[in-house]
Amino acid sequence: MSKSIAIQAIRGAHKIVARAEKELAQALKDKGAGIKVEFPDTAYYLPVSYGMLGMKIETLGGLKELLEEAKSLLPPVPDENINLPYLGHTLDAGMSALFADEIIEVIKYTQHPLPYLPEPDPKNGHLWLGAANDVILRERGIEFVDGTAPGFAACVGACPTNEIAVKIARELQEKNLYVFLAAGTDGKSMARQLYEEGIELGWTTRLVPFGDDVTACIHALGFATKAALSFGGAKPGDYKKILEYNKERIFAFILAFGHVDDEKFAQAAGAINFGFPTIADTDIGRILPTGICTYEHVVSPVEHKNIVSRSIEVRGLKISVSEVPVPVPYGPAFQGERVRKEDMYVEMAGQASPGFEFLTSKGLDEVEDGKIEIFGPEIDDIQEGTQLPLAIWAEVAGRNMQPDFEPILERQFHDFINAAHGLFHVGQRDINWLRISKEAKNAGFKFKHLGVILHAALHNEYGKIFDKIQIRIYTNEKDVLNLIEKARKTYRERDARLADMTDESVDTFYSCALCQSFAPNHICIITPERSGLCGAYNWLDGKAAYEMNAAGPNQPVKKGTEIDIVKGQWQNVNEFVYHNSHKTLEVFNAYSIIEYPMTSCGCFECISCVLPSTNGIMTVYREYNGMTPVGMKFSTLAGTVGGGLQTPGFIGHSKHYIGSRKFVSAEGGAKRIVWMNRNLKEEIREILEKVGKQEGIESFFDMIADESVATTEEEVLDYISKINHPAISMPPLF
Amino acid sequence: MKTIAISGKGGTGKSTIAALIIRWISDHVSKSILAVDADCNVNLNDLLGLTLDNTIGAIREEMKDKANNLPGGMTKQQYLEYKFQTSLVETPDFDLVAMGCPEGPGCYCYANSLLRDVITETAGNYEFIIIDNGAGMEHLSRRTTQNINYMLIVSDPTIRGIKAAGKISRLVRDLETRVKEKYLILNRVKNSIHPSVLDIIKSEDLKLIGTVAEDNEIMDMDSRGESIWQSVKDTKAYRSIGEILTKFSF
Repeated sequence: MSKSIAIQAIRGAHKIVARAEKELAQALKDKGAGIKVEFPDTAYYLPVSYGMLGMKIETLGGLKELLEEAKSLLPPVPDENINLPYLGHTLDAGMSALFADEIIEVIKYTQHPLPYLPEPDPKNGHLWLGAANDVILRERGIEFVDGTAPGFAACVGACPTNEIAVKIARELQEKNLYVFLAAGTDGKSMARQLYEEGIELGWTTRLVPFGDDVTACIHALGFATKAALSFGGAKPGDYKKILEYNKERIFAFILAFGHVDDEKFAQAAGAINFGFPTIADTDIGRILPTGICTYEHVVSPVEHKNIVSRSIEVRGLKISVSEVPVPVPYGPAFQGERVRKEDMYVEMAGQASPGFEFLTSKGLDEVEDGKIEIFGPEIDDIQEGTQLPLAIWAEVAGRNMQPDFEPILERQFHDFINAAHGLFHVGQRDINWLRISKEAKNAGFKFKHLGVILHAALHNEYGKIFDKIQIRIYTNEKDVLNLIEKARKTYRERDARLADMTDESVDTFYSCALCQSFAPNHICIITPERSGLCGAYNWLDGKAAYEMNAAGPNQPVKKGTEIDIVKGQWQNVNEFVYHNSHKTLEVFNAYSIIEYPMTSCGCFECISCVLPSTNGIMTVYREYNGMTPVGMKFSTLAGTVGGGLQTPGFIGHSKHYIGSRKFVSAEGGAKRIVWMNRNLKEEIREILEKVGKQEGIESFFDMIADESVATTEEEVLDYISKINHPAISMPPLF
Repeated sequence: MKTIAISGKGGTGKSTIAALIIRWISDHVSKSILAVDADCNVNLNDLLGLTLDNTIGAIREEMKDKANNLPGGMTKQQYLEYKFQTSLVETPDFDLVAMGCPEGPGCYCYANSLLRDVITETAGNYEFIIIDNGAGMEHLSRRTTQNINYMLIVSDPTIRGIKAAGKISRLVRDLETRVKEKYLILNRVKNSIHPSVLDIIKSEDLKLIGTVAEDNEIMDMDSRGESIWQSVKDTKAYRSIGEILTKFSF
């Protein structure tokens, strides 16, 4: 951390505490200890000291105790020649300055005339509002709780020009932030700058001028403290809860404009206690490592044009765009709407022209949030009935963004675009297809609105994941064809990553209850390495289905505590299976055929079962009608295994699962297979050969008996004994 | 949205009636029509003069075979939706989708559940869904088609034909499919209807809504394998269908 910041903040705290001591002594002398002190219409006393310390100060005399508290927190001003870890001291100094602020500000309320008025009256020279009363707190504070207003920007000082002040205030307002204004720079304040430009100030416009004194900053933090006490359920004196509430729930930050003196540094240090960082337009040094605040504590210098977006990012504030600003009605009700050929104005990508959709992540400084560019013709440049290529290229940035989220966000394009009335979208990646209706075109819908939709909808739904998004839309064939290869390369990489996914690499499996209509007690648990037994559903399908319909037949199942990693048993999975099998199954092993195996609905592609004398298992595909070595045909076997019954020694599964690392891995895996019907064996030849190679068993494929050499268990045993099948020398199954 | 299902045993001219209904509604009521060929022996498209690139059955098979190997890492839901949407044949007067043949062995729960969703959703975009149903009612029992406003059972004016129509009518009732109104149409009626036919209609508990006159022109087009779409407008049969459909207040 920056030593200079610490030194200045601690020095500033000393100055403010000294000033408080002087002014309190003067007031006591003039008015006496018994005189009442209070902020107007509040039940929270002096909110910061009430919240932090539980102090109920009502008289001038009572302030003496608070002053002592402030003094006791004051650390010594560090020697400039010694390097020490200063953060703790700096935070104490900041808190001490806040207590001193409160003393100075409340004394102002004993003066005549009052320096503060409930409503600003700038024409008569009254600009400043001072502390917010409880009515305002309840009216406005609720907006912080329900998310209407995500937080506030406490602006300290004055901007270099009135124009900049207005621009920054407008930008903050657009983000629904409250703008608290306090203190000034060289006799000028941002509040006055806004007033001079004819901008209306007050709680209703969310531009709130607290006071021109540096100590008026306390009203911002007082407001934050009251919010924690009244909405956060924090008890007075429970400083930890109050500070945490503010860090987690009130997205506030300090914007410092112009020269930052020691006293202002002390305010910044006080705000850091609340998790509110300071961003300055001048170079005041930096405290970059995270710790008290969510990310950086002090960032400077930042150019005026970037200061709002930079602040939002540093504070970790998530912007939500409540309405999708497009000229056509927008909502989930319009999903699934098909734009008929007769009604369409333009058709993009699809079978007639190339196209793709792509989302990738970039560095925070490479993405300008909300930037939308069109390359190629806009909708107004083309005739009705035109077919155009379409590439949507989105770049996102965010501190929580991970490459694994890219395909998830990209997949949402479909739903989000479809939610616009008059738009018909199908597919994803390089199989996309879009129609825009004549009606939408006439309503003023442009290609750029595709970007507007994605910007707004992605921010709304996935704001937790990313902070910024910019979108490029290509409607000319040359660009689309150029970029499509780049996108395809990434698609292939993503697929490879998915193919390499293991059960260990995820913490969540997905259930499938699609077949409960006819097998009410059966529940599938789909893991990356064990697809659904019908062969139709893999882990990604489960995940995608859940993303699309959170109340549907596919639910996420957290693995939870590991019970037996070899057999594949987890505590949460057991609990989930118990409740969703209507309490018929208590224990479930994902990788075992012998002990508590997974049940089957009846849709299995294959059935595997133990052939006890061979120490191995046989696998039969559902289209094989002949007799199997276990003495049952497939249909009879199906009756044994299906219907949600847990039958040790028998499992139903997909073809795909045979090639999985986790295929009956508790019993040694696919090398246990001693018999398989011929067609299946041929069909999955590659898989079996791979298993043989991995296990170092030469000609494993040929070691597996089929109906041409064995149809009874004895014949299988005979066959495998001759060729020394690996199952013979494996540990006994029972 | 109004759903009209046309049913009847093979050889009654059911698909021809379906084609005539599509034509008449397209001419007189609305062109927002989704025609569904739900008879496995796909020929509605021929009658309408259209070529089919794909059927739902074929998509379903593809889904099953490609279960773990879909292009572009797409989810099955999206892939199926894409395939379904591209399989629609679009004309200025109506759109057509063919269900194709029923499923082979294997598990179709998943594919059918996806299909049901996408069909239901797409169907909502049209003012009229006109389904040419197989006699076996495959899609009704599978619930791939739902909520039928008018079920029109086509029969020739023979005792055996009417009895078959009665069977279909009872099947619908037993399946508890949501059919609001059920009517009988007698096709290929030469002159008047024999009184014994009327009796059997009554005893089979059928409601006769109208008759379609025997029409040699259409028979000729049909036997030559031609589309009836272009030249149907001046036929007797087309006028008969018009008379029947005006009884419904669309």
